Amino acid sequence: MQGNKVAITGIGETPMLRKGAKPLMHMMAQASLAAIADAGLKPAEIDGYIGNRMTPGSDDLGNAIGMKDRAFSAVCDVAGGTASAGQALILAQLAIEAGLATHVLVPYGIQSTKPGGVYGFHAREPLKATFEMPVGFFGQPTYFASMANRYAHDHGMTEEELASVAITYRAWAVLNPEAQRREPMGLEEYRQSPMISTPLRVADCCLTTDAACAYIVSAVDRAKDMPHPVVQLSGVGIGTNNFPHGVLFTQNPCTYNYPGEASAKKAYAMAGVAPKDLDLAQVYDGFSISALVQTEMLGLCERGEGARFYHQGHAKPGGRMPINTSGGHLSGGYVPGINLLIEGVRQLRGGLGARQVPDARICGVAGLGGNSHSTAILTRS
Amino acid sequence: MGIPNYPVHIEDPQLQGFYEGLAAGELRLTVDPETGQFVWYPPEVVPGKPDTVLEWRKVAPEGSAYTFTTVVRSLLPGDHKDEVPFTVVLFESDDAPGCRVPGVLVSAEGFEPACGMRLRFKAVEVGDHFIAGFEPV
Repeated sequence: MQGNKVAITGIGETPMLRKGAKPLMHMMAQASLAAIADAGLKPAEIDGYIGNRMTPGSDDLGNAIGMKDRAFSAVCDVAGGTASAGQALILAQLAIEAGLATHVLVPYGIQSTKPGGVYGFHAREPLKATFEMPVGFFGQPTYFASMANRYAHDHGMTEEELASVAITYRAWAVLNPEAQRREPMGLEEYRQSPMISTPLRVADCCLTTDAACAYIVSAVDRAKDMPHPVVQLSGVGIGTNNFPHGVLFTQNPCTYNYPGEASAKKAYAMAGVAPKDLDLAQVYDGFSISALVQTEMLGLCERGEGARFYHQGHAKPGGRMPINTSGGHLSGGYVPGINLLIEGVRQLRGGLGARQVPDARICGVAGLGGNSHSTAILTRS
Repeated sequence: MGIPNYPVHIEDPQLQGFYEGLAAGELRLTVDPETGQFVWYPPEVVPGKPDTVLEWRKVAPEGSAYTFTTVVRSLLPGDHKDEVPFTVVLFESDDAPGCRVPGVLVSAEGFEPACGMRLRFKAVEVGDHFIAGFEPV
């Protein structure tokens, strides 16, 4: 697969809400229609659909938005951000290059407030139910808190350094009128955030969001005649490990060793660029600890230096490597991976006012999902 | 410090051996009978050997903590406010490095939880069942 063959030609989002009134299907239809309109297209011109195993498929959503010929449809097999910000891009490019589709819709949404909540998925895992839940080792914040303590043991990490990740993303959210949490946050406010599992506070965890997002992928040659500056997919890579969901948070030899270096290596090679070439990045921040580790894995700082990288202010507004410029999942809103990718597209199009990264041309987007990881390199042509 | 109290739910009878061990005051892990190697947690299908039935083996109660966290807000389904805080450790028996057993840190007054801290297994009775506990050595 070669880079710079397809582009993201349309983007759409619903408002990022703590608790929305609309069902998931409604939000996904709204986001999809917004993305189609943003691309200057009509629903009938969408002939490709990349779904997600967690959300409604094209059988239902295709009809709801007025698709006619669903010539190509597929479902991402991986989880979370890897699906929406990595695998979906690969599938879309394959479909377009094979001549199976012209404009591919990638929608994704989340209803964090649904019954069972965001932890229900883990409660259904037999190994977790048997070995972990009876001792209270349960829920993403607890899993990632245990990683944070091990990371601190291996590399050193002060409270202030860990806090600087959430504080950095909040500083960006303050500049984003659409962000879910916009009140300024310094160390004092961070310390007032309730502790969930040491050392992770509520401020270290992604938001609870009801929202949907969607984007359109088209061939670069077509994108040149579409409404927006062309934002190309220059590189994309997926990394995986062989620790299934039931054992991932306990038995991986290094529990915070996501397969991010593998995905980044593939994406950089495909794009023909290096970490130093990035103007900004969007990094999947389910948790502060996982974001700082992925920041290392993208090559934006040395391994083991992520916490200090943030503490030194490099990722803040005005820093040398702006990261999560919408506020990320910690402060902007949490629609796993996809709203980070969309923010990358927005930045490369330009015109974002106070949060616009000057002369942004190349953006890295990291997605994490269970035992897989994606890196995408977006370039403004 | 509190102690979590959540029912044990076992779908796969093969997993029952862990709790039979706890009731006997032993920490047991699964091994592949052909190779003698630990396979942990016991997967539904042993990689590459779908017909293999794992066996339970008692391991040394002494070991160390790979990592830990102190749960301040329990995320378990239901109301568990009265059970927090408690500290969960991922324990590695000296007999089975890399095979991690989640359990609760007990009898640890005066100890700061830490990665690498030396621990000893102790079955802890909670309601109608036992859970894995680990106390500082």
